Amino acid sequence: MSQTQRIRLADGVQFSAVRDSRFKTMKLSANIIVPLSAETASANALICGVLSRSCKAYPDFTALSKKLSSLYGADLNVSIRKSGDNQVLTLSASGLDDRYTLGGESVARELSQLLCGVIFEPNLKDNAFLEEEVEQERRQLLDLIDSEFNEKRIYANAQLVKYMCQNEVFGIKRYGTAEKIKEATPQSLYAAWQQLLKTAVFEILYIGDSAPDKAIEVFAEAFGRIDRAPVAAQTEVIRRADEPKHITEEMSVAQSKLVMGFRAGTALPDREIYATNLMCAILGGTANSKLFCNVREKQSLCYYCSSRYDKMKGILFIDSGVEGENIEKLEAGVMHEIEDMQNGVITDFEIEATKMAIVNAYHTSNDTVSGIESWYMAQLFDGSFKSIEEMAAIINAVTKEEIVAAANRLTLDTVYVLKNR
Amino acid sequence: MDTTIKEVKSARAGDSYYQIKHSSGLNIYVYPKEGYRSAYAIIGANYGSVNTCFSLDGGEKITVPDGIAHYLEHKLFESAEGDAFTRYAETGASANAYTSFEKTCYLFSCTDKFDESFEILLDFVQDPYFTAQTVQKEQGIIGQEIKMYDDSPDWRVMFNMLGGMYHNHPVKIDIAGTVESIAEITAEKLYACYNTFYNLNNMVLCVAGNATVEQVLKTCDRMLKPSEAHTIQNYFADEPYAIVEPYVEQSFPVSMPIFNLGFKEHADAVLHEKELAEIEILLSALASPTSALYRELMDNNLINNTFSYELFEGPGYCAVIFGGESRAPKQAAEMIKQYITKIKQEGLSAEDFEIAKKAVYGDSISSLNSVSNIANMIADYHFNGNELFTYIDAIAAVEKEDVEKRLGNMLDVANCTLSVVKNAEA
Repeated sequence: MSQTQRIRLADGVQFSAVRDSRFKTMKLSANIIVPLSAETASANALICGVLSRSCKAYPDFTALSKKLSSLYGADLNVSIRKSGDNQVLTLSASGLDDRYTLGGESVARELSQLLCGVIFEPNLKDNAFLEEEVEQERRQLLDLIDSEFNEKRIYANAQLVKYMCQNEVFGIKRYGTAEKIKEATPQSLYAAWQQLLKTAVFEILYIGDSAPDKAIEVFAEAFGRIDRAPVAAQTEVIRRADEPKHITEEMSVAQSKLVMGFRAGTALPDREIYATNLMCAILGGTANSKLFCNVREKQSLCYYCSSRYDKMKGILFIDSGVEGENIEKLEAGVMHEIEDMQNGVITDFEIEATKMAIVNAYHTSNDTVSGIESWYMAQLFDGSFKSIEEMAAIINAVTKEEIVAAANRLTLDTVYVLKNR
Repeated sequence: MDTTIKEVKSARAGDSYYQIKHSSGLNIYVYPKEGYRSAYAIIGANYGSVNTCFSLDGGEKITVPDGIAHYLEHKLFESAEGDAFTRYAETGASANAYTSFEKTCYLFSCTDKFDESFEILLDFVQDPYFTAQTVQKEQGIIGQEIKMYDDSPDWRVMFNMLGGMYHNHPVKIDIAGTVESIAEITAEKLYACYNTFYNLNNMVLCVAGNATVEQVLKTCDRMLKPSEAHTIQNYFADEPYAIVEPYVEQSFPVSMPIFNLGFKEHADAVLHEKELAEIEILLSALASPTSALYRELMDNNLINNTFSYELFEGPGYCAVIFGGESRAPKQAAEMIKQYITKIKQEGLSAEDFEIAKKAVYGDSISSLNSVSNIANMIADYHFNGNELFTYIDAIAAVEKEDVEKRLGNMLDVANCTLSVVKNAEA
């Protein structure tokens, strides 16, 4: 049903096409991967916003929006994220598959041209972006930074990373700092854009039913005009924590938050990441996990208490909301579940059920466009492309001893508490 | 009564599904998706947070505590033998449930062992088990869920707006209730609600993806306990057309102020496919990123790209809500109102209408990618007497005059509430 094609368009530029006839839509995304740096993160984030607002062919925001809407509500999206010590900037276009248009138009061809135009032929004046476009995007990004404080769960998680990784590249926010965003000028952004085209690693991904020929053609031609010198990042991994740091911040909120960060002792490309992944899911990744069953269901302390493993960076996070007076009880409860796992208190049922849940999630992801996209990008950072069946086999082969060993590699680095007053 | 099966087809979407009235009384929809490995099943009761005063078969009128529908949802997962999540653990399915203003739904998705997971779903939903002890245990968990929402500015700004719009309708009350109201919930009250609303005739089941009609019916025939149709009467206090107050504000620890501007609409009749299509196209033409309004709000720094709009409707309530982050919510609201007044006088441009229609059409087809979307939409449409493919055809048939006529009867700028959440110092 789906077939995959991967071709090199230029130095550090790969085009991958997943042909799949099951969906009503197609999606083309350009993933621009650069080393995360305090100097460039803000400018890069701003550039992506500015690029998505207009281009030479559709020179203002309304003209571009109208073009997209008339292509049956097509979307042009920007996302900025962190993957280990990389900044990943994604510009993507998605729209109705050609088979479903009312007038037989080819949305796929038009969107291929449009996305390429947005990246390579922006709306420029005298080797600079337009002042008003930059100002609009600057405001959007500054608002985004401020809004992070609005949702306290997101804020608390961000604070944990800030304190835990303050001396690491990973401690830099995905969009840098407000100061750097304010410093950028239409001229400096132009220079930064040229730098991106020259040095970033590009992974272009197409998912759809119709042939990706047009997209390959326009991107190959555009990169043909660029003198490429790609740069890749190496993620710094700290394997063990020293004495745990405790940070408490007080605020007038209804619910306190407890977020914990552990060094997992393993990260990509180690083979042990799979055991750590499974250990993390048994601890707090499902509705049958140790945290859910004990801290929530038995002790009624929380509505949510979950764990997450970042295998790029080698950190395991615990995230929960709790009554202020129960913070210590909750922290002790979490540590107790981890100690149990370290001592081998894990049933075969827990292991088998969690393996099944993980494999189920793998297979389910293949039924959505966004799921296929995430799978593909995750595999890319893994450095070797594995099928769902191959990954399922690896997870299913993890033994109890390996899970216990993974739990024993955990060292608590930082505890962040947002306490209600 | 025998089970009846009808096929519903859409030439436009290239899809079809089956509508089944089961002999047990349950309404069932099966939407197979070729090539999909996963299946998604959802069973819902036509019962949500607003149904707090009701009677059964002409009997005594019962009033129950706020938040009880949601509480019941949490407790239904438990039976005398244990927890449904533990049973799902043996099949690998990913299960969940949710309660909205007007319905309560239980769902799972899986890629293997569909029949086993499906049996668990049908079993626990028909098997209530509430004791004083199990009810007590949930107070702490739901208490924390309520407090989590108390800290959510998006949630607060919406409920403050509903409080500014509705005098009496329970839609203004938080779905989970309050820490005080849930303290009044007992096993007896849960049973009274369950026995009224969890009747198969008052429920719907949708399955989409990797499952066949035969497969679904085989388990249903075995598991469903036939229900006698009965009469449920819901009571809502009279709700005047006019809003309560035009402006409400709450101070909150936020660094980006947020707003909701809600236009209270007449809600005496359920909206059907044609009306829904007209309203979606109208709102897209008025306020999507393509619109002149959006551009003007942006150029004046009154909104950012969190700006959104929605039609918000259910039994006895209907509103159009515009919202997002804004450093000047009052000015943003004023500009929205002025623009609506202008379009009411001048009409929509032909170009704006055509673009909006194409965008809404594209979105409706795109939504058929996802098995969870499909099943959720069909369940929603079912309770309002609507049908998914009829809605898609209705979009294709809408004319500009229809949309303008619709605009003439809604978005009354003299009947809206602005709700703002911002920092005390801001």
